Amino acid sequence: MDYAFFPGCIAKNVYPGIEKATRIVFEKMNVGLHDYPYSCCPPPGVVACYDKDTWYALGARNLALSEPDNRDIMTICAGCYGTLHNVWHELQHNDAKRAYVNEHLGRIGMTYKGTSRPIHFVDLLDGMRDTITQNKEVDLDLRVAVHYGCHYLKPTTVTGENSESPMLLDEIVGLVGCKSIPFKDRLTCCGAGGGVMSGEPELSLKIMERKLKNIKKADVDCIVNICSFCHMNFDQSQKKLESFDIPVLHLNQLLGLAFGVKHKHLGLHMNLVSTRDLVKKVKGAKKGRDEE
Amino acid sequence: MDKTMDDIIREGNAYACIQCGRCTGSCPSGRECGLRTRKIIHMARVGIDVFKTEELWDCTTCFTCQERCPKEVKITDIIIELRNLAVKNSYYPSMADVPKIIIQNLYRTGNGQPLSPEVSKLRSIIGLDKEPNDIAKDKEALADFQKLLDGLPLMRWGGI
Ligand code: SF4
Ligand code: SF4
Repeated sequence: MDYAFFPGCIAKNVYPGIEKATRIVFEKMNVGLHDYPYSCCPPPGVVACYDKDTWYALGARNLALSEPDNRDIMTICAGCYGTLHNVWHELQHNDAKRAYVNEHLGRIGMTYKGTSRPIHFVDLLDGMRDTITQNKEVDLDLRVAVHYGCHYLKPTTVTGENSESPMLLDEIVGLVGCKSIPFKDRLTCCGAGGGVMSGEPELSLKIMERKLKNIKKADVDCIVNICSFCHMNFDQSQKKLESFDIPVLHLNQLLGLAFGVKHKHLGLHMNLVSTRDLVKKVKGAKKGRDEE
Repeated sequence: MDKTMDDIIREGNAYACIQCGRCTGSCPSGRECGLRTRKIIHMARVGIDVFKTEELWDCTTCFTCQERCPKEVKITDIIIELRNLAVKNSYYPSMADVPKIIIQNLYRTGNGQPLSPEVSKLRSIIGLDKEPNDIAKDKEALADFQKLLDGLPLMRWGGI
């Protein structure tokens, strides 16, 4: 299997451990990831909220890059997925908009055909459950709080997901021995989207604080997300709020640990909230398994 | 393809709103600030220039209201369109400086969040290329991207 790989600017330029973990984990599962000269998605918060037509045109440029190679595009961030998938979806049935983006792309010698589909990596993992189990070296035995990310789930008219009781991520962490612990308002927004984190950081932090309080009550070992942007918000906000210390892992970093990859190769030591205790716990589980 | 207030209300199905308030009750942002989603829809419908209100920018675009609305009002879509209208009419949110920097970064490097020397170092520590294999590295692609962006409305409305 081969995909065009869309890492997104947070995984590339802020939390490179996420990019690295993704490359390692998918290589182990025999999925080829290919690079293209992508720009950022562009961000739904700032660009779509300022000018939607620009958002369509820049999104279409990214989508068109792997069309000559017939490759679908794998994203690892709900924000990138939200942009690319919404743009793709709109251009599938809005001919006027498609003509508009092609008129602009024509200025730089490109055409958008819509033949390469964006896919969120967790949907890809859904069809690879056996491969995940085969690659598992450690049963992690962790209590985790999962976070889906709004733009992976919604709007359901575009995503086709179940936005009120999704189970996919809970099931996937279960495959590597983790238990997804329920907590109050588990599906609410982390507060980062819509340009609120950049435009109104205090409001964003309040939304996050409420979320973290609920997670803290669930007494988990870590937060597991499928969105680099939420990941950044969870990690950075805890540092700002000073009253929380729940480690934050992108799902691909969690899978990396379960596949026996060293935590430093996954960039876990680069998080602001320390992952030391978590890593110790996983090492204990690994040792237990080796001695059996 | 500029939309008028009327286009936005009609396309977003705002006339179907029964003012039940489920949107406001579902809003994670409204719990912490003055955003009242139901009120935004109401104001839009009765012809008030709601794109001028600051609360419009408190929405995280989480789509919860839109999912839960019993009358299928495309609430979040409406909010995003109203923001577009606000930008075109120069009603920027009071704290729009950071978004502006993001747009400048996007133009300069192809990424809203550019690479810093610190992260470049972190990348090589964990065995990634110092610079991501993306548009910022590919100067030809970046020049084309800038040419593309030069002709798009964001550069006209984005205030940069
Ligand atoms: S949920 Fe829908 S019908 Fe109810 S007030 Fe909000 S927009 Fe109107
Ligand atoms: S989309 Fe905006 S208005 Fe609607 S619930 Fe989310 S934050 Fe509130």
